[in-house]
Amino acid sequence: MPSSEKSSTQQIVPVPTQALVMRSSALVARGLRDLSRDSNWLVKKVFSGRAPQVAVSPAGQVCALSPLVRQGSESIALYDVELGVPLLALAVPGDPEILALGKQAAFAWSPSGDRLVAAWGGWLPELHAFDLHAKKFLGAFGEYADFPAHLAWSDAGNYFAAASSGRDSAHVRLWEVAHRASGEMPFAAAPASEITVGTCRAWPDWRENGAVVGSDADETEFADSAAPAGFGRAAFSPDEGSLACVVEIEGEWADDSIAIVEVPSMRKQSVFHAQGHITDLAWTYDSRQIIFCSAGQASRLAADTMEPEALPFGAELCACHPHLPICLCFSSWLKNSAKGRLFLVDLNRLKIFDEHAAEGVVDLRWSLDGSKAYAVTSEGLAYIYEPPLL
Amino acid sequence: MALKAAEPRPANPGAASIQKPPKPEDQELARKLDEQAAIEGDLADRELRVANLRAEMSAFERRYLHFLGSRYTDLDECKAQLAEQFARQQPGNERAQQAARDARTRANETKSAAGEKSAHEPRAFEATPEMKRLYRDVAKRIHPDLTSDRDDRAKRQQLMAEANQAYEHGDEAQLVKILNQYECSPESVKGEGPGAELVRVIRRLSQARGRLAEIEAELQRMMRSDLYQLKERVGDAEKDGRDVLREMTAKVDEQIAQARARLENPEAASR
Repeated sequence: MPSSEKSSTQQIVPVPTQALVMRSSALVARGLRDLSRDSNWLVKKVFSGRAPQVAVSPAGQVCALSPLVRQGSESIALYDVELGVPLLALAVPGDPEILALGKQAAFAWSPSGDRLVAAWGGWLPELHAFDLHAKKFLGAFGEYADFPAHLAWSDAGNYFAAASSGRDSAHVRLWEVAHRASGEMPFAAAPASEITVGTCRAWPDWRENGAVVGSDADETEFADSAAPAGFGRAAFSPDEGSLACVVEIEGEWADDSIAIVEVPSMRKQSVFHAQGHITDLAWTYDSRQIIFCSAGQASRLAADTMEPEALPFGAELCACHPHLPICLCFSSWLKNSAKGRLFLVDLNRLKIFDEHAAEGVVDLRWSLDGSKAYAVTSEGLAYIYEPPLL
Repeated sequence: MALKAAEPRPANPGAASIQKPPKPEDQELARKLDEQAAIEGDLADRELRVANLRAEMSAFERRYLHFLGSRYTDLDECKAQLAEQFARQQPGNERAQQAARDARTRANETKSAAGEKSAHEPRAFEATPEMKRLYRDVAKRIHPDLTSDRDDRAKRQQLMAEANQAYEHGDEAQLVKILNQYECSPESVKGEGPGAELVRVIRRLSQARGRLAEIEAELQRMMRSDLYQLKERVGDAEKDGRDVLREMTAKVDEQIAQARARLENPEAASR
C-alpha cells in the first residue's frame, strides 16, 4: 500500500454510503398507515393554537389564519395535513408587520390545490391570488366594500365566485379563470358577472312568497323579516353550468333560500326557500341534486324540479364525493349525546357508514380522485378519511 | 490493520549502548498508530452494527412483501376493476373515467412495487456470533477508509460491498474468502519511513472519522424510515406474542373479499 502512495494533493474519494434501496417504500408506508388505525379515519394534529378561519385543499394542505406564525400578530399560514408543519406564510406586498387580531378571513383552493385565493381584513380590500406551486403572490383583483366571506372555485377550475353578506351592497361576483401558465395571474380585475341583493329582491320568488311590498322591482321594499340581506355559501355544479348560493334573509330566526343561477351569465334559474339558516351546500357528482344543511338538518334538493327531501340525519357541513353518490357530513350534535361526528352517507341507499367522533369541524374536502377526504377543525386537528375500498 | 511504527535505527553502531531518545516524528507516529488502532476497532463495530441493521431491514422487507405485497396487489387490482366497472356504467361521467384510469395506474404501480411473490416465506435475519466476528475482522482489515492509497481504496470498496452482501446472505465461506483474498494481495504490504507513514496514518484517521460520521448518519436515516418503524412495531408486537404481519394479511384478505363480492354483485354488496 505505501509503495503506491500518491502525492499529498491526492484527493480522497469519499466512500459512498450503502443506503438500503427500498422499491417497496410506498407499500411500506401504506402498511404502516394501515397499522396505525383501527378505522378508516386517521386523526392528525396539523397546527397548535386556534385558527378561526381554516380551509383544506383537495391535496391535503391547510390554509389557516393563525396567531402563532408571527408572535403577537396574525398571519396566514399553510400547513400540510400529513406533515403537520407550516409550509409557508402567505404575504403580499405592503403587508403590515403588526396587525390587530380578529380580522375576517376567507380562503378558496383551486381544485388541484396549487392555487389559492384569500381575502383578509389585514390586507387591502381585494381578493389575493397565490400560486403555491411557484410559491408566488400572483396579484390582487376584485376590490370589495363588503367582505367576501364565502369564496368558491368550480370543480373543473374554470370559474370562481366570491359572496359577501353586507346588507344593501351584498353581492355574488363571478370570474372566469383564464388558463395561464404557473406563476401567471389568471383573474381579471373585474368580475365577468355579478348579482346583488337588489337583483334578488327583483326576482318574483320573494313576491310570491308574500314578502314584497310595492310593485316596481327596483323600488321594492321588504319587510325586515323576509328581505334578502346578503349571501352565504356558494357552490358550483360539477358540470359548471350552475352556481348555487345561499341567500341570507334578515333576522335571527329567518329562513334562508338557495338561488341557482346560470354560469357564467348569473341569470336566475330557480330559487328554493329553505327552513332555517343554511350552513352548507354541495352538489352531487352528477349535478342533479344539491345536498344542503339548514338548522342542523340535512336535506336534498332536485336541481331540475326544486323538489326538496329531508334526509334522515342531521348535519351542518357536507361535501359530495367527486364521482360517487356519497356525501361526507359533519354534525356537531349526535342524538342523545350532544357529541359531534363525521360520517358518510350512501345517497342511493340513504345509509350512514364510517362514523367517527369529531368536534369543531369547520371545513370538509374530498381529494381530487375521491380516494380520501379531509375534515379540519379550528383547533388544528385533521381527520383523514382513507377507506381501503369505497 | 494496526501498523507498527518503524523501529529507530542507531545512528552509530559503535555507540549502540547509548539510547537516543526517539525522534519527534516517531513519537507522533506511535501516538497516531495507537489512535488508529482504537478507531479501527470502533469503525469495525459500527460497520457491523449498520450491516446488521441493513440486513435485518432487508430481510424484513422481503418478509413484508411476501405477506402483504401480493395482497395489496390483489386489492388494488380489484379496486381498479371496480372503478372501471363504475366508469363503464357512467360513460358521461368524466370524473369516473379519470378515477378508473388513476385506479389502474395505482394497481400497476402496486404490482410493480410488490414484485413477484417468493415461493417460500423469507426468514428473518439473524447472524451467528461467528458471522459477526468474521464481518468485524473483514471490516477492520479491509475497510476502505483505512487506506490512503487510491487504488487500494477502490479495491477495498469492492471487497467491502461483497462482504456486506455475503453478511446479509449469511455466507460465512465468502467472508473468509474475501478476507484471505485481501491478506494475500500485494496491497497489504506496508512500510517505508516514518514521515510518509505518519502522513498516511493521519489521512486514514481523517477518513475513518469521516466514515464514522457517515455511518451514524446512515443509521439515523434508516431508523427514521417507514420500513424501520414498521419493523420495530412488528418486532415489539412479536415480543407480546402477536403476529402483526399475519393480522395485517387477514385484514387485507377481508378487504379483497369485500371488493370481489362487490365486483360480482354490485347491487347486493353494501359499504
